[in-house]
Amino acid sequence: MKFSKLFLIALSVSLFVSCSNDDDDNDSNEPKGVYDNGFFILNEGSQTKGTISFLSDDLATFSKDVYGLNNNNDLPGGYLQNIFFDGDNAYIISGGSNVINVVNRYTFKLITKIETGLRNPRYGVTYEGKAYVTNANYYSFENAATGNTDDYIAVINLKTNTFESKIDLNATANRIVEENGKLYITEPYSSTKLLVVNAATKTVETPIEIGSKADGIEEDNGTLYILRGPSSDRSEIVKVKLSDKSVSKITFPESLDGAGYLALEDNKIYYTVGTSVYTIGTSATAASTTPILTATLSATGYIYGFAVNDDRIYIADGGTFGTDSKAFIYNLTGTLQKEIAVGIGPNGFYFND
Amino acid sequence: MTFKKRFIFCLLLLCQILWAQQDSITKLKAVVISDAHLKKYSNSQSVLKLNDSVIGKNEVLLTDLLNYNSTIYFKQYGRGMLSTVSFRGTSSSQTAVIWNGININSQMNGSTDFNTISGSDYNSISVKAGGGSVIYGSGAIGGTVHLNNDLSFYNHFDNYLKLDYGSFNTTGIHYKTNISNEKWSAQIGFSKNSSTNDYKYINKYTWRGEQRWNQNGEYDIITMSANLGYKIDKKNTLKLYSQNSNTDRNTSLVSENETKSKYINGFNRNLLEYNGEFGKLTTNFKTAYIFENYQYFSDNSTNDYTFGKTESLILKGDLGYQLFQSTQINGILDYNKTKGYGSGFGDHTREISSASLLTKQDISEDWKAEFGVRKEFTDNYKSPVLFNIGSSYQVSKLYNLKLNFSRNFRIPTYNDLYWQEGGNPDLKPESSYQAEIGNVFTFNNISLTQTFYYIKIKDMLQWIPGKNGIWAPQNNDRVNSYGAETLLSWRKQLGKNNFAANATYAYTISENVETKKQLFFVPFHKATGSIAYSRNRISANYQILYNGFVYTRADNDPDEIVNDYLISNIGIDYDFKFLDSFKLGFQVLNLFNETYESLENRPMPGRNFNMYLTLKF
Repeated sequence: MKFSKLFLIALSVSLFVSCSNDDDDNDSNEPKGVYDNGFFILNEGSQTKGTISFLSDDLATFSKDVYGLNNNNDLPGGYLQNIFFDGDNAYIISGGSNVINVVNRYTFKLITKIETGLRNPRYGVTYEGKAYVTNANYYSFENAATGNTDDYIAVINLKTNTFESKIDLNATANRIVEENGKLYITEPYSSTKLLVVNAATKTVETPIEIGSKADGIEEDNGTLYILRGPSSDRSEIVKVKLSDKSVSKITFPESLDGAGYLALEDNKIYYTVGTSVYTIGTSATAASTTPILTATLSATGYIYGFAVNDDRIYIADGGTFGTDSKAFIYNLTGTLQKEIAVGIGPNGFYFND
Repeated sequence: MTFKKRFIFCLLLLCQILWAQQDSITKLKAVVISDAHLKKYSNSQSVLKLNDSVIGKNEVLLTDLLNYNSTIYFKQYGRGMLSTVSFRGTSSSQTAVIWNGININSQMNGSTDFNTISGSDYNSISVKAGGGSVIYGSGAIGGTVHLNNDLSFYNHFDNYLKLDYGSFNTTGIHYKTNISNEKWSAQIGFSKNSSTNDYKYINKYTWRGEQRWNQNGEYDIITMSANLGYKIDKKNTLKLYSQNSNTDRNTSLVSENETKSKYINGFNRNLLEYNGEFGKLTTNFKTAYIFENYQYFSDNSTNDYTFGKTESLILKGDLGYQLFQSTQINGILDYNKTKGYGSGFGDHTREISSASLLTKQDISEDWKAEFGVRKEFTDNYKSPVLFNIGSSYQVSKLYNLKLNFSRNFRIPTYNDLYWQEGGNPDLKPESSYQAEIGNVFTFNNISLTQTFYYIKIKDMLQWIPGKNGIWAPQNNDRVNSYGAETLLSWRKQLGKNNFAANATYAYTISENVETKKQLFFVPFHKATGSIAYSRNRISANYQILYNGFVYTRADNDPDEIVNDYLISNIGIDYDFKFLDSFKLGFQVLNLFNETYESLENRPMPGRNFNMYLTLKF
């Protein structure tokens, strides 16, 4: 008996001590969990299962499947599409399973799953306590009549992590960014327009004509930068000035047809064509045709995910979609820093900082 | 009576390994077999025949029948869902399914779904290992599965009715009637198999802690058949085979919130056959019309679907001549016109003609040799010259040596050629060389067949991602597949006690020549066993299946496998001897409640039960 009392006291002391330690943490730069100070690589996976890999900022610590590892091999769903963050939470969108997995971004422990209101969810952004997630809903090959007009935004309450309402878009929707309470949406396959949605009033405003195959979209200093890469026409960066919605363009030379991905970092625009990465300043008026790097990918591979963050360029090789593929990390001058095997179909990088 | 009761009790309790085969019942008189070449030109290869008494003892769907009784490996997307095969380490479209002599693999995807076929619709099912393209055409690389309706010409009228009811609301109705005399023979059959299929996943829980179960797994398969034979006179026979089937299936969910989809597919097959025998000359003409279709509802709460359908007209003329006492020769001309139309591949027609020559030579009473050659003519692809050469030599009473060498192929499907986007009209057929040695030992009641084979396949079709994310098929890979198959059967009668045992084992290496990796979803090991016992009115059986692990990825990632499993079934039935036969049976499936999957994240059911009533009158 005495021993157990002693034990209880010891336990409560240790709890007290650890609590006070926690308090200290909040004020310091101590890591908040194993996955602080690093980034996630989202692996799209198969119809049934995707994975999320983690690599630390110093490129030394790697974990191939952090979701499975921390959640007793629960499945996050198939065709993992996008991750967005809110506070300490990461939201992992599974397009194949109509689920958003809500995890702690530092420990990757599952908090809850959002399982209603989603149909082929794609990308999400957060704004004032809500998440706005585009849903492709039916595709046109499933329903030719309404497939291209039934896409919607699922509005999610981030306090309760529940689906709240829909905003019908009467168009197709894919990538989404938020600026000043407005949501801007592109979709490369069936749309030629930039959709504009007022988040607060949930109303769809007049769309802006930007041309076909518009995909990558980034905002910087009041301007949207959108990359489009039509298959039989010149690639372009379309700039939309948000104050007056005026549109200007940088048209690429023919040698850069079929541009792929876009990233903005430190007043520079980075874009990919084939397996090469190019860069120009945000105020440039012409495209650069001199790549800063050309990636050596697998035989059937092509760039399937792309990011630029804090002096590094990140490239994901789509690979064969049947076996694990690779991610490549370069410095800004194009020198390879790290090549690492990840999961099936890596499609994005998400930075935990 | 007491003794009998105690006996049943003992059987159940001790899980005795027993089964009855009762072949003596099925001695048929004056039967006209539907696929003459299967008998005539298969001496040098191994053919495993499952007759109607074996079919009646197994679960109804062809997947279960063949999984427990042959060396063929099955990959199932959950119980009752899409089920495809790998035979001798080959792909699902390299096993041809032959209905009364006609190749019925899908023109759209090249393969057959073995969970859409009910074994009870046929009199016998044969599994022939090894190449058979000379006779059966495209897809006969790993082997062929023969579904036969044999017509009998003697005076009889009998009816067969089997009713099944089992776990997960699984019901089966199988009815067959045979009416015949010496001139006419008619067979009419009906089968319906359905299940709500809502079984629990053993030890699997959602993140909320709720028991997981097989959602959206309902299936319903209905098949009707009518076969008619008429002997015009001693020399001329007309036969008409007709079959109609519809499979309405939902597709099991892998995770709880997926969109629920369903898949409906069906077929209509008609075959008119004329057979004439004029001394040394035999003639056979076949005209077949085969229709197949599917509708895929990506969301089964709506009426929107994608679809595909094909119609094929097949004309076949076969002239046989007995050259000498010991030499038989057959010349065959074949014309096949297929029209395909679908939401994924547009509207296309393809015509294929072929000519083939088969000879059989009985060199001596103990030594039989076969030779066959076939060439196809079509605008669609370049077709190789196919051949088959074989020998069967009865070395002694105990031992028969079989040798076979063949070249076989598999033609590109509608999907491969025309799929939007990605279809590649410039594809070549997959082709293979195959050599095998078979050793058949027979002594007393035991028969042991051991076959070693080597298959070299080139131009394997593979869909790979191209630029802009569009997948397209290419003639990419070369595969070497080799291994050994063992078939063992034993039968013994001791007074009123009948014992029978069967076992199969396959060891398979199927290796990508370039990467040296085992093909994914090809197990190194597969074994089956069954043992049966019968005495008077009671019969019991036990069957067991071992499936070795399979890789699920081309790079043989050791973390990405489907684990091996060992499962077994036990069954017992009692004949009340009312009418011709009135049997009540009970089966326990997956007796030891094994947790297993055939495909990753698609659990199969635990222990479950089936009851049946079989009436013959």
